[in-house]
Amino acid sequence: MMDTGERNKPSRGRGKRTIFKEIGRGFQFVISHTTIGPLSVLALIYVIFTISTLGTFTSLENIQVIFSLSGLLAIMALGSSLVILIGAIDLSLEGVMAISSMICGLLLKNPINSADFGFLVLPIVMAIGAVIGFVNGVIITKVKIPSFMVTLGMGYATLGLAVIIGKGATIQILDNRLQTLANGDIIGIPYITLVAVALLVITMAIQRRTALGKYIFAIGGNETLAQMAGIRIDRVKIIVFTISGCLYGIGSFFLVSRLLASSTMISTGYLFPSITAAVVGGTALSGGIGGALNAFIGALVVTGVNNGMVLLNVNPYAVGAVNGILLIIAVALTIDRKKIGIIK
Amino acid sequence: MGMGNGPVIEMRRISKSFPGVRALDSVDFTVHGNEIVGLVGENGAGKSTLMKILIGLYRQDSGELVIRNETIDLLDPKTAVNLGVGMVFQEGSLLPNLTVAENLFLRHERSFRKNGFLSQKKMNEEAGRQLEKTGMKIDPGMFVRDIPAAERQMIEITRLLWLSRISGVDNPVLILDEPTTVLVSDEIERLFGIMRELKTDSSIIFISHRLEEVLEISDRIVIFKDGRNVEELKADGAEIHKVEQSMVGRELAEDHYKESEQKEPMENVCLEVRGLEKEGSFEPVSFKLKKGEILSLVGVLGSGKEEVCRCIAGISRADRGHIEVTGKRVKISTPKDAIKAGIGYIPIDRRDEGLALQMDVCSNITLVTLHSMISCGLINLGRERDEAMHWVRQLNIKTPSLKTQCMSLSGGNQQKIVLSKWLAGNVNVLLLDHPTRGIDVGAKEEIYKRIRVLAAEGLAIIVMSDTLEEDIGLSNRMIVMRDGRITREIYCPSDGKPKPVDIITYMV
Amino acid sequence: MGPRSMFQDKKTGAGKGIAGFLRGLPVIYLSLILLFFITLFFAVGNKSFLSPYNLKTIGNMTAILLTIGLGQLFVLLTGGIDLSVGGIVSLISIIYILGLKYFGFMGFILTIAVAVGLGFVNGVIFTRLRIPSFITTLGTGGIYGSIAYLLHAAPLAAPEETYKFLDIINGSTVKINHSWIIAAAVYLFCFVIQKYTYLGRTIYAVGSNEKMSWMSGINVRRTKVFAFMLSGMGAGMCGIILASNLYSGSAVFGALYILESIAVVVVGGTALTGGAGGVLNTLVGALIMSIIKNGMTVVGIDIYAQQTFLGILIILAVAVTFDRSKVIIVK
Repeated sequence: MMDTGERNKPSRGRGKRTIFKEIGRGFQFVISHTTIGPLSVLALIYVIFTISTLGTFTSLENIQVIFSLSGLLAIMALGSSLVILIGAIDLSLEGVMAISSMICGLLLKNPINSADFGFLVLPIVMAIGAVIGFVNGVIITKVKIPSFMVTLGMGYATLGLAVIIGKGATIQILDNRLQTLANGDIIGIPYITLVAVALLVITMAIQRRTALGKYIFAIGGNETLAQMAGIRIDRVKIIVFTISGCLYGIGSFFLVSRLLASSTMISTGYLFPSITAAVVGGTALSGGIGGALNAFIGALVVTGVNNGMVLLNVNPYAVGAVNGILLIIAVALTIDRKKIGIIK
Repeated sequence: MGMGNGPVIEMRRISKSFPGVRALDSVDFTVHGNEIVGLVGENGAGKSTLMKILIGLYRQDSGELVIRNETIDLLDPKTAVNLGVGMVFQEGSLLPNLTVAENLFLRHERSFRKNGFLSQKKMNEEAGRQLEKTGMKIDPGMFVRDIPAAERQMIEITRLLWLSRISGVDNPVLILDEPTTVLVSDEIERLFGIMRELKTDSSIIFISHRLEEVLEISDRIVIFKDGRNVEELKADGAEIHKVEQSMVGRELAEDHYKESEQKEPMENVCLEVRGLEKEGSFEPVSFKLKKGEILSLVGVLGSGKEEVCRCIAGISRADRGHIEVTGKRVKISTPKDAIKAGIGYIPIDRRDEGLALQMDVCSNITLVTLHSMISCGLINLGRERDEAMHWVRQLNIKTPSLKTQCMSLSGGNQQKIVLSKWLAGNVNVLLLDHPTRGIDVGAKEEIYKRIRVLAAEGLAIIVMSDTLEEDIGLSNRMIVMRDGRITREIYCPSDGKPKPVDIITYMV
Repeated sequence: MGPRSMFQDKKTGAGKGIAGFLRGLPVIYLSLILLFFITLFFAVGNKSFLSPYNLKTIGNMTAILLTIGLGQLFVLLTGGIDLSVGGIVSLISIIYILGLKYFGFMGFILTIAVAVGLGFVNGVIFTRLRIPSFITTLGTGGIYGSIAYLLHAAPLAAPEETYKFLDIINGSTVKINHSWIIAAAVYLFCFVIQKYTYLGRTIYAVGSNEKMSWMSGINVRRTKVFAFMLSGMGAGMCGIILASNLYSGSAVFGALYILESIAVVVVGGTALTGGAGGVLNTLVGALIMSIIKNGMTVVGIDIYAQQTFLGILIILAVAVTFDRSKVIIVK
């Protein structure tokens, strides 16, 4: 009575789909299991641009510029990466930077008031960023609203606050020490790169050598299991948002230093590159994979691409579009769709 | 050494109910030191519920929980582990993107601090030592996602033992939920060997549907049925047949499943499945389904029957094999293909997969058939209302109005709405995945009657029920599956219904 | 239909007291109550609030917000979100002026087509690449904005010859602004879609239970693409009205409208989780938002500062309407 059934040929016509799937899966594996993937992307970018700019790209001068620029982006990407690691997203970046830089403008030596806090401003904006991040985290975890929504709203809210505080004006910074900080270097390495590297080391230490770091990966990997294992999800999320807010604050301090001015428009255009850098570097939007080092590599990639475009005289407005395209491609290639399930 | 006097765990008169179902009815259950207890019973007999109470995931409605001679009032998973009671779930609960060592010592990283930071080296060394105790030789630095299922279970067992050790608990109790389902025979032997070793200083509760294995490894067997502890016997010298008998068998009213209305199927073959196979779920299966026939697919969890249905319905994709509907071969890779071929599927979880709860009754009923009500690009709302009303009357759906949100209705009525959605869609084959789950007796009866009427009208039906009795009572014919294979085909004519005990042999 | 109903009182959160009563109501009533109190608040606080001039201003704002909100509505109903509406508004405002200049009246048709096309691109990228809609539209929004800059970096003042077209929208007949008529037409169109079309039905189904919709044979992909096309259309109409009002097109127009479009929909009572809400909710939302905006402007709050309140308001509205039973893990 048992039906042995016929053995039929495997269903054909799925060949095309499976190859594409395999490539995608392979790409994802390489990019996420090691830093080899992002590093090879980096190498590829540099080769392409070196060739197309006939060597200008890799001139010592240009490399210095790239490192200096990428230092700032790396700091922002570090913040974004941490949030993406737990499977969330922080869209409030530009707003946090705006209000932080306005505060910088008002507290550093400027033509409007008599403040002159100098380097003391740094811990102040770190605190501001941390507070905003903290609020984000609390609303997301306690009121239970998706991070993209909360940070979107918060981003605009803080941007508005920045305008209110600064009355929309651009404030000039008169503190010369900042100029040295931003443009100076020691044995050829820009100060900002050193700061970025220092932050990288700290973040990596947190990531690999603390329980918090393990919990971050656990939550990003499978939040339900992490919760079952007894990890305090809410607490970890709030801490992550606070840290990344703090990092954004640091970033805005350096941004203000470089421009020697602060305005509400200062942060425009930093959101995309920051997320792209995190994702391209290997921190998938689905979470649980990637980290600090990946953010660094990603920052180098994105800065390299933007810099290369400038050297190639690409229309500056097109650069925005390119960053948008890069973002979409990067996410499309690295996201783990099985984990997310239904994509909304 | 063992606990001395008294059982390690004593559960007295434990009862637990969920909405609509009494999961546990005054159950007594004990575990002694240094023993392996085999826990068996049909799906839904209450085994998992009892264990979840034991580890603190659920709270009992009434009854006492005594662990190591201490009556426990409020239990949560963390406290349970501190008391030396832990469970290894079937699906596994290790975090895939952490390493073995990190998983082993999750939430207890404090002991591995060196200068304020975690010492990966110390963790891996200690992990290695712990793993040795359970006979494992894997690299603690490996990520869990790269480790096969068999080893993962051992890692979880290792963690539970370690946790008990640091809590200073004697004779921990490990609960293994269907551990052998994902293992091949030599891995099973290895597992049993380790279990015997572990028995010297712990106790194990072994849940499985594979009775031979349970008899082989256990000291004592506890049989659950319908939320009750019906029998306990020593494994030594027990007969599988008697165990099976105790697992099934219920008293039911005459004609409960309207067997009197059961008709013989017609001649034409409506649906034929040939060599359908899905790697990891089921091996090549083939069967035919006739017009007007009610066929039941029977098997325990993991037998593959649900996957077979989902492949026929286009929800899952089979790797090989093909399906023929009224003699014509059809390619079914999406639900749309199945619907076009006249196949409808009523899912097991009507809230998750059956209805749009936020939409009203009318819209849900007409969801599949909406295309036919469009004239000049617009939906003819009047026709839609009439169609919906027709089915509300036909199936006796109790709702204040057609515009009522589905989420306000009872389970039975929701199920009827799902049914009418497919009936309105003019299907020839209907797959019913546990059609009466969570539905009260009155509504169940209506559904049985409706199934008879549909079969008489020529609809071919495949049903998978919650109980063997329902499968036997409803169907003309039954196909039994075990571990992905068809093991038996049994006829169930209305005048010669087989007994559950005859069937269970082919399931376990 | 039986006289009795086996009715389980499962209305989410219905309970005791005023709070319980409020929570048990259909959300539209909540929005209407909110509208009433907001109007009261501003009317009492400011004498000139109810002046004909002010009411007209509110009416204009409502028309603008309604068009873009209705588009966003359909995307939110499916459970997604369209963050590219800002980019679309900017780009469309420029394309409209250019279109009128070179093609006359055909420019209008062309612009609508482009707007829908942009939405189509959104939908295709979203469904084919299968990346979350907020990332997709975040990216495309940036791309559309960049294209706007590439087309015309500085604000594009409308040339004389286009005035006659622009004034069609700016004009009024029998004291009723044409922009209101256009908004009403869009509303009607969307109402028909919501209630009488297969598309409308499937949008709700997909938003309510995507898995079940797929299992019932609905082409989920197509539904989502159409939802984004509707969003493009809504943003496009908004851009057209804006360009007409301001006699210019600019790449910076749209940025402020991203948040507005979401606010209109969410404050009106449509949940981010999808499957519930509708055009009427969005209309009420548009009214509420324009009254709030008007009130803030009259009091003297800067446009950018208004965004602060907007951001907070949205978070509040989402907190109230978010259907947590649908989402186990909130990321």
